[in-house]
Amino acid sequence: MAMIRAYRDLEGCMQLFGHVLRRAAVLKLPPVAEQLTRQIYFTGASATAGFVTRGAFIGTLIIVYVIEVLEADAELAVKILLWVVLREAGPLLAALLVLQRSGTAIATELALMQITGEIASLRRMRVDPCDYLVVPRVVGVALSTAVLTFYVQVIAVGGGMLLSALVVNATLDELAHSFFLLASPMDIVYSLLKSLLFGVSIAVISCYHGLHPPGISINAIPKAAISAVTQSILVVMLLNVVFAYLVFGVLFFGLVTAEL
Amino acid sequence: MNPVTAEDALQPPALETCDVGLACELPADSGSDGRIWIPMGVSLRIRIANPAHRARLLAAIFDMEPDPDLRLVLLGAEVDALSAKERIALRARLAYLAPTGGLLSNLDAWENIILPLGCHQPQRLPGAGAEVRALINELGGAQELLLAKLPEEMTPLERKITGFVRILLEAPELVLVENFAAGLDSAERTRLSYFANTFHARHPRGTFVQLEDVQGG
Repeated sequence: MAMIRAYRDLEGCMQLFGHVLRRAAVLKLPPVAEQLTRQIYFTGASATAGFVTRGAFIGTLIIVYVIEVLEADAELAVKILLWVVLREAGPLLAALLVLQRSGTAIATELALMQITGEIASLRRMRVDPCDYLVVPRVVGVALSTAVLTFYVQVIAVGGGMLLSALVVNATLDELAHSFFLLASPMDIVYSLLKSLLFGVSIAVISCYHGLHPPGISINAIPKAAISAVTQSILVVMLLNVVFAYLVFGVLFFGLVTAEL
Repeated sequence: MNPVTAEDALQPPALETCDVGLACELPADSGSDGRIWIPMGVSLRIRIANPAHRARLLAAIFDMEPDPDLRLVLLGAEVDALSAKERIALRARLAYLAPTGGLLSNLDAWENIILPLGCHQPQRLPGAGAEVRALINELGGAQELLLAKLPEEMTPLERKITGFVRILLEAPELVLVENFAAGLDSAERTRLSYFANTFHARHPRGTFVQLEDVQGG
């Protein structure tokens, strides 16, 4: 039964994603563009302060633990910043923060609209709910996740480098120099693509569960949000592993190496 | 507007399609008189007591859901005989006002009003402001106060005014208003005539249908 439900959810999410790709042109319509602006403001702009603080804390924590436990030198500290913070933790952290804030909000809002008949009202106005509600949310969350990932990376890497300079035997200049020697544009493209994909997944899954709440009572709203969060986390983790494997040929932090 | 008596509406000679705004035959247990026959250009009230049949009729008209037991004629066209494309075109000529106005709770009145226009005819948006204000005035609303309100801040009448202005902007040929009296006091109920008159002033050949349950007034 659970397998059938999981398959149905997957199929529904894929159909919704297909709809977004097919109907992206509706973003030109003023009411849809307004929804997109609101979504970017909510997911991106208004969340920045919280993201920056949490990003700085987590970046710093990773560096402190690794330096303490592994007794790392400057080179290892920079590699950790690049591999862990820039490539993996940054996009993953941004995705989880977006999910925690926007994924739950989207699922809850759409489920409430479904239960109170507002989705039916849209249909009666001949406005496709997927065009008006889903397309701008998916695009808005994807773009915001990419931008927030960049913020988190800058803050976490910057914070980590500053702290490393205090702890390891190297100046900030030396650390920055080795970091830019090791880092490549591929790292940025990789994390940007990954965060876009994370954003799309979170938004599509949240919209799907919001539009299909498991009932018509008010209890269905938190249930829709819970389903959206649990499935989004699963998909984001899965995508992260698949992406790492495909792009770098490294699975489970180097325990399995693929042939490229 | 041509006045039509209840006898005209309830005892038509046959379900002719010519010049028919809305016609259909409902099952015997619907709580109505069975056959509905409303010519174009009139304003008329129909009562269907059975909520399931009301929902079924609304779904057949506005969601264009095929219903083999419900022969439906809309704006002179037999719905069953239409292709999918023709149904979509026909649907664009119909409008529905829900008892609560059918507004989206996170949009203010102005955003609610221009939502369908912005989606279907965005080129008309720049000139919509003056038209919206004029319509709100005609319907007896305080436009400046109303336009900035969210649905939860509106009275039931304001919600209906907002929903109806939204409908009028798209110039439908058939408007169906469900349970207009719901949530209104006796003085406000008389405003229905404003709604019908405003609609017919713009569309003399338009059909204005008020759908009620037994208690509707």
